[in-house]
Amino acid sequence: MKHSLNIAIKNQSVAVERFLRVVRHRGFDLTHFQLNVDDGQYNVAMTVDSDKPIYLLTTQLTKLVDVKQVTLQSVHQQQAV
Amino acid sequence: MSLRNGDLLMTGAELTIDLLAKHGVKDVFGYPGGAIMPIYDALYGAPVKHYLTRHEQGAGFAAVGFARSTGKLGVCFATSGPGATNLITALADAMMDSVPLLAITGQVPTAAIGSDAFQEIDVLGMSLSCTKHSYMVERAEDLAEILQEAIHLAQSGRPGPVLVDIPKDIQMAQVPFQPWLAADDYLPQLDLNQVAIANELLSEAQRPVAYVGGGVQAAGAQNELMQFLEKTQMPAVSTLKALGSVLPDYEYDLGMLGMHGGQAANLAVQECDVLVCIGARFDDRVTGNLGKFAAKAKVIHLDIDAAEVGKRKPAKASLIADLKTSLPQLECFVTPDAWREHSKEMMVKHAWRYDYPGEKVFAPYLLNQLSQRMPSTGVVCCDVGQHQMWVAQHMKFSHPSNHLSSGGAGTMGFGLPAAIGAQVARPDDFVMTVSGDGSIMMNIQELATIRRNNLPVKILILDNQRLGMVRQWQELFFEGRYSETNLSDNPDFVQLAAVFGIPGQTITHANQVDDAITALVNSEGPYIVHACIDDKENVWPLVPPGAANDQMMTESAK
Repeated sequence: MKHSLNIAIKNQSVAVERFLRVVRHRGFDLTHFQLNVDDGQYNVAMTVDSDKPIYLLTTQLTKLVDVKQVTLQSVHQQQAV
Repeated sequence: MSLRNGDLLMTGAELTIDLLAKHGVKDVFGYPGGAIMPIYDALYGAPVKHYLTRHEQGAGFAAVGFARSTGKLGVCFATSGPGATNLITALADAMMDSVPLLAITGQVPTAAIGSDAFQEIDVLGMSLSCTKHSYMVERAEDLAEILQEAIHLAQSGRPGPVLVDIPKDIQMAQVPFQPWLAADDYLPQLDLNQVAIANELLSEAQRPVAYVGGGVQAAGAQNELMQFLEKTQMPAVSTLKALGSVLPDYEYDLGMLGMHGGQAANLAVQECDVLVCIGARFDDRVTGNLGKFAAKAKVIHLDIDAAEVGKRKPAKASLIADLKTSLPQLECFVTPDAWREHSKEMMVKHAWRYDYPGEKVFAPYLLNQLSQRMPSTGVVCCDVGQHQMWVAQHMKFSHPSNHLSSGGAGTMGFGLPAAIGAQVARPDDFVMTVSGDGSIMMNIQELATIRRNNLPVKILILDNQRLGMVRQWQELFFEGRYSETNLSDNPDFVQLAAVFGIPGQTITHANQVDDAITALVNSEGPYIVHACIDDKENVWPLVPPGAANDQMMTESAK
């Protein structure tokens, strides 16, 4: 199942590495990633794909020190092939 | 850098030591090297006492032992490159077991970073998966704030390791000190609806069990836990890390659950209808087959970390808060008589037996006797393997800070340096390590640290000339193909200790156990007992891989 998230993180390059590591390690594939700098912070829009429920990722991301906010935008049901 | 009136100028290295002292850090563990020399220079004559270990991993685990035996921050230093990589295992161990740890590493000068300089490793990158948070200081003016934030983060919320990597030029630069005030921590507020659901579940429970984890120690919530248990008289089971949280004289203490847990504990959990998870995380070594773990139970989960709730097993009610806040919110319904009586019957039926018929040293008997004869305030630091499980099964602890065992990471080599840290932290307490002949060799160099500092650490080695736990699995699950687990060429451990000026004795027979314990407990300085045990002795019971916790293998049924 695909999920779109918006994440606000500190404007530090290591912050991006840190949360992307969590995305991978917790079993979510990155299918879209966009990074903008705004008001001294990074705003990330990304889509991830996994069989796991998305709260398993959002709860892990939320507790990262660099992460200011995690917003779940939408859930996309994958079309049957 | 702009300076203001009143800013106190000192070097980055001096500021680092000064800040540690200001935060009450009196003891640190480490190993010097090129990129951290300014900090070691600032240590010279400083009020912070440094303990030189003989390997950076030893420094990391000594800091972990210091932290776990006191609840205070543990601090370790290492230089760049291999110094920092040698700390990584201790950081990972602290991450898995939520230990408040501050690691300070030297880094090559800022201008050299990224040039593959001598002893340059991307320590910040390496730290991402094994720290709660980490920094590389990029500007001298940021150092004070970063250090203060790091000290705060390591100890706040769910504790964990924090690393600060400081380039050498920043250690040598003049830096301002400005006090930094922690922003108000986000403290999760209890959801009163969830509290109501939890209390309704408790009011209806016929067979409740309290499943107690390491969070109780992290929160300092032993009193709140015992008040809850004493009022409810609820049977309690403990994880490896929680041992000591439930006081040993509690009538319904069923001991450790899980792969090598007691049968009474595992069966109670399998039969319970409400499982109150208190600062635990449904680790795979606890649950066995997760789908069959506590399958009849509705779960009430108490934890400060929201990410633990529902991670492995769904909860009917979740209380996300400090346990000192959440535990008193649970109403104390007295556990039904029938279930309490059943629990006690199971404890009697499955009580540990020490009537070993052989003439050899029986490790469970030795450890049980040791537990009864050592001071109740003593600290036991384990390594990892069969001896670790025997300690968990056969020794009693009155506080989790008295039982230091590498839980989540399961790190061999933990015990000896952790005992050094615990002895430094608690100089007036009896501190010992229980190790195996495999584990002790992983950080054997720290015998030199014991001698150097005249630490009265006691050492018990249970020697089966094997990597015993792996050998046990090879016997049971790999058709007796004993690949690389024979250690019959071990050194003579008593002679080895003697080289470091540590006296001791070897025992080989059951009738030597009592005298050896007497010598160990009564020795004023460090002492080693090398106990030779049967190489075929296994840890029982055992939940085989993939099985449910009520499918325990026992010695008679293997």
